[in-house]
Amino acid sequence: MAAEILRLDGLSKSFFGVEVLHAVSFALHRGEILGLVGENGSGKSTTMNILGGIHQADAGSITLDGRPYRPTGPRDAQEAGLAFIHQELNLFENLSIEENIFISGFPRRLGRLPLIDRGRIGQRTRELLDMVDVRYPPATPVGKLSQGERQLVEIAKALSQDARIILLDEPTTSLTRRETEKLFTIMERLRAQGIALIYISHILGDVLRVCDTIQVLRDGHLVGGGPRDEMPIDTLISLMVGRKIENLFPPRDTEPTTVPALEVEGITQSGVVRDVSFTLHEGEVLGVAGLMGAGRSELARILFGLDPFEAGRIAVGDTTLTEVSPEACMRHGMAFLTEDRRGEGLMMEATIADNTALPSLRAYARSLTGWIARSRLEDDVAEVSRRVQINTTDYRGMLVKNLSGGNQQKVVIGKWLLRQPKVFILDEPTRGIDVGAKFEVYKIVNQLVAEGTAVLFISSEMEELIGMCDRILVMSHGEITGIHERHEFDSERILETAMLKNLADVA
Amino acid sequence: MLRTAGASGNAATRTAGGVRTRGWLERLILSEYLVFYLTTAYFLAVWPIVPEIATASSLSNMLTDMLPLLVVAIGQTFVLIVAGIDLSVTSIIAFASVVGASVMTADGGYLGGSPLAVPAGILTFLLIGGLIGWFNGFCCTRLGMPPIIVTLTGLMFLSGTAIWYTTGHSETSSIAGLPKAFVLIGQGSAYGVPNALWVALAVGISAHLLLGHTVFGRWLYAIGINRKAAEISGVPVGTAILWTFVISGVCAAIASILFTGRLETGTPVLGQRILLDIIAAVVIGGTSLAGGKGKIVWTVGGVLFLVVIDTSLKLLGMSLFVVFAVKGGVILFAAIIDAMRQRIIMRG
Amino acid sequence: MSGTAGRRLALVVLQNAPLIAFVVVLVIFASLSDRFLTLGNFTNIVTQSSHIAIMAIGITFVLLTAGIDLSVGAVMYVGVAILALYLGDLPVVVSFPLVALIGLALGAVNGFFVVQMRGLHPFIITLAMLFILRGAALWMTDTRMVFVAEPIMSLGRTSYLGVPWAIWMFAAVFALAWIVLRETPFGRQVYAVGQDPVAAGKAGINVPLVLFAVYCICGLCAALGGLVSIAQVAAASSTFGFQKEFPVIAAAVLGGTSLFGGRGGVIGTVFGAILIQTVENGLVMTNANLHHRW
Repeated sequence: MAAEILRLDGLSKSFFGVEVLHAVSFALHRGEILGLVGENGSGKSTTMNILGGIHQADAGSITLDGRPYRPTGPRDAQEAGLAFIHQELNLFENLSIEENIFISGFPRRLGRLPLIDRGRIGQRTRELLDMVDVRYPPATPVGKLSQGERQLVEIAKALSQDARIILLDEPTTSLTRRETEKLFTIMERLRAQGIALIYISHILGDVLRVCDTIQVLRDGHLVGGGPRDEMPIDTLISLMVGRKIENLFPPRDTEPTTVPALEVEGITQSGVVRDVSFTLHEGEVLGVAGLMGAGRSELARILFGLDPFEAGRIAVGDTTLTEVSPEACMRHGMAFLTEDRRGEGLMMEATIADNTALPSLRAYARSLTGWIARSRLEDDVAEVSRRVQINTTDYRGMLVKNLSGGNQQKVVIGKWLLRQPKVFILDEPTRGIDVGAKFEVYKIVNQLVAEGTAVLFISSEMEELIGMCDRILVMSHGEITGIHERHEFDSERILETAMLKNLADVA
Repeated sequence: MLRTAGASGNAATRTAGGVRTRGWLERLILSEYLVFYLTTAYFLAVWPIVPEIATASSLSNMLTDMLPLLVVAIGQTFVLIVAGIDLSVTSIIAFASVVGASVMTADGGYLGGSPLAVPAGILTFLLIGGLIGWFNGFCCTRLGMPPIIVTLTGLMFLSGTAIWYTTGHSETSSIAGLPKAFVLIGQGSAYGVPNALWVALAVGISAHLLLGHTVFGRWLYAIGINRKAAEISGVPVGTAILWTFVISGVCAAIASILFTGRLETGTPVLGQRILLDIIAAVVIGGTSLAGGKGKIVWTVGGVLFLVVIDTSLKLLGMSLFVVFAVKGGVILFAAIIDAMRQRIIMRG
Repeated sequence: MSGTAGRRLALVVLQNAPLIAFVVVLVIFASLSDRFLTLGNFTNIVTQSSHIAIMAIGITFVLLTAGIDLSVGAVMYVGVAILALYLGDLPVVVSFPLVALIGLALGAVNGFFVVQMRGLHPFIITLAMLFILRGAALWMTDTRMVFVAEPIMSLGRTSYLGVPWAIWMFAAVFALAWIVLRETPFGRQVYAVGQDPVAAGKAGINVPLVLFAVYCICGLCAALGGLVSIAQVAAASSTFGFQKEFPVIAAAVLGGTSLFGGRGGVIGTVFGAILIQTVENGLVMTNANLHHRW
């Protein structure tokens, strides 16, 4: 085995008293590609952030080339020869490839003139682009490049800074299959030159395709790892899921009906979703599983009229929607809880009452003047806020930004409950909230379906879907690849359906 | 009362942990009526130095100065609440003034001498304001152009057009000979109260009710605070923003009626100098350029503050330069107070 | 296929909007007045537009970082007032650089506040500066008209190789700004900061320094614009530079510089400035009596 270049030894890290990383240790060697896999929240990004100097470990040590390495900022990491390539790229679309590569420090004419040495950066950029197989003149604006090409430019930039370790975080999310293959070829070429790479991905097929070693994280613990050949896909999946599903979910006493509440037929939008059809019934919780980028949230946004679609039909109850916009969907009794609570779900600078009232204002106003019946509105807002159990009664004074994540989410749920929705689309309803609040959200969902509401439940947490849903739809690459009934729920099988395409690629 | 914008002061004192008591200075800075306290304090401070400021004639002068400015500023408040800006208001004032005058004037106006001249003239003013506002709003919402570009272009284009239009209707640089009944709107009074004040009161009260008590008003604050969240909650964002520009245009047209009536002529350079005063007044009142925050009462305070300072400095025999410098200082002061306010709120 | 071609045509038209507008304006006025399309008149237009163009070049730097500077007209007035009142006796080679330095310093004040008071929009900061500086200038001049002495006036009439002094000045500022924006690390960093300040910070660019510098440059150019203008008109009334910020910003925006930062450049700005002056000149030529001048 080649020389060890980086060693993590017992790294631990807590945020606000919650341990997110517990005694993680592994080693990286020159000319090795190490795959780091795990579910959301398993500690992958925390590990990355500690290596990049964005967070500091509470305990444990890192050794780089046999010397202790304790970065306190991105600069330290860069100087030590670590380069990071994130899902969102750090490129300036309005500048050329060569300018992007050298923006942190341009070589100057005659060494000291304040003029950029175009000759030299052009030459050097050509060399770097050759290494990553990008055939564009160095002066091409980055805005003209595809996502995959930009990814490669980022790698060229890392090489220009003499990076010896390159960390890639979900780099293929927005790439086509062909671009992904090209990226892997380049990664293999870099490996041959002795550069070490850490590759983080949800797509196990890709990880098995390109990595030499694989380490699996779960709940902040390193639960297994080894050479690729010793880590077949079913081992990886059972390591990743691992947990037993305990009594985390409140019992539900009601059964779903067979009355259709939402019928979706052949919804297609190129590059996003393809031919999606399903029926959601009154009193049913229909889960949607899938990997990041499988098109789950995109589907939800299309159904609520936030994004366009090219073909297909959406019917609520027995009416087919002729116009699909948030207003129209709401008129037909739909509600939508967005995955981006801060950005789209709430007005953080406004009070609980104002947030709760917003979607329902028209119902409390005279049609001609728009005059709001304030006391009736306030009474109903208070009632619904009590129902979702927000831990304050100062609905009219408390700003939403001062609430905890769980209570904020309850405000979002409350604002839709005020409209008494018939179909409720929940996109990651428990993301970023603590266990207690999760339980309360589950209870509200159970109450709703008991009253006949139909719930579309999108989640990245497998056990949550298994614990809550009557049926689970599985999406992969914008298509529905399977529907699982409650009696046949099995997390490993669902994960397999979710990765169907990738497995096919490997085989 | 809409809490989002209204009670940032007392709401901010409540955090998840409970109520914290604040020092009087912090309370004062956080008060949404700070500008009224400052105006009063300033007024009381200069009173002994220039007793003339409290005479009836000086007070009534201040009022006449203030009213048209207030009406435009009220329109601007709507646009700023949705995080837009309308720089075209002064050019609307000028353009409406000359076109409206050309309809009514006895010297060859389209309806000169006709009994319909005054109502038709007033309608012309309002239509011009509304249509230009609608066009601004259309460009900003349906074509996705930034408000500052749309209205800046409008400003330059309309100012030029107003002058060009005047040359086609008059030998001089303005259009005189307006009907008596029209002039009375700017100069006369009813029940001992100037007509202009009746107009401003009507505009102010309707604007206040519209913002504070109707669905439309609440939508505007929601759009200003978080446009995406508003959209997802079913707010017709584009239409609502479009209407703010129409309101701003109509308010500018009403101000133009008051100005034109006072001067008895349609003038293509009317209001040219007050553009930045309008925006300054609204911002001093506490309305945020970033949107989501603003009230008609605050705007009244901001306009009052600027006018009191203007008048007092003039009475003190100060020249133009002091007026300018003090205005600049006041704007900077208001901005710094706002920054402090944010910092105090952040601290919780 | 025709759809793509049509779209491509639309794109070409949109990308060259200022140039096309310029040509359209030229054709219209040329057909309305036979005196319009002469070399003499064109030189005249460029000379008259040079002070706006110089100031607009300065503001282009600020707009590229997604900022704005409303104080340019006031800076212009302050510089000229100081020149006329206190520096009149100095030779031009001393007084002009001094005025330019004053502009730079006033720009630095803007830049200081913009950098220090994060979260406060440059719109408000420079609006306040506008009032303060205009007040200061009015105080210095006592609101009376100020005049510049002979050497400066004659400079306004000077030509070199048949080209008026103002155009030389304009050309020099333009060439320098063009090189700085295109060929220096600083220039490229201005674009990077305007595109994405957070990413720029991550890439190791000193974002506050870049922001500070663009306001300094804008102040400097505003003072230079004042010098070019005063050499032409010889006297400055109390409305000198008043509301100049509007045509200056309009010139840059017409020239394709985005108010959201990161897009545009000084070539477009120059076209924008000349376009504005051409319209004004053409209107005068075709006897539309323009009382109102910016």
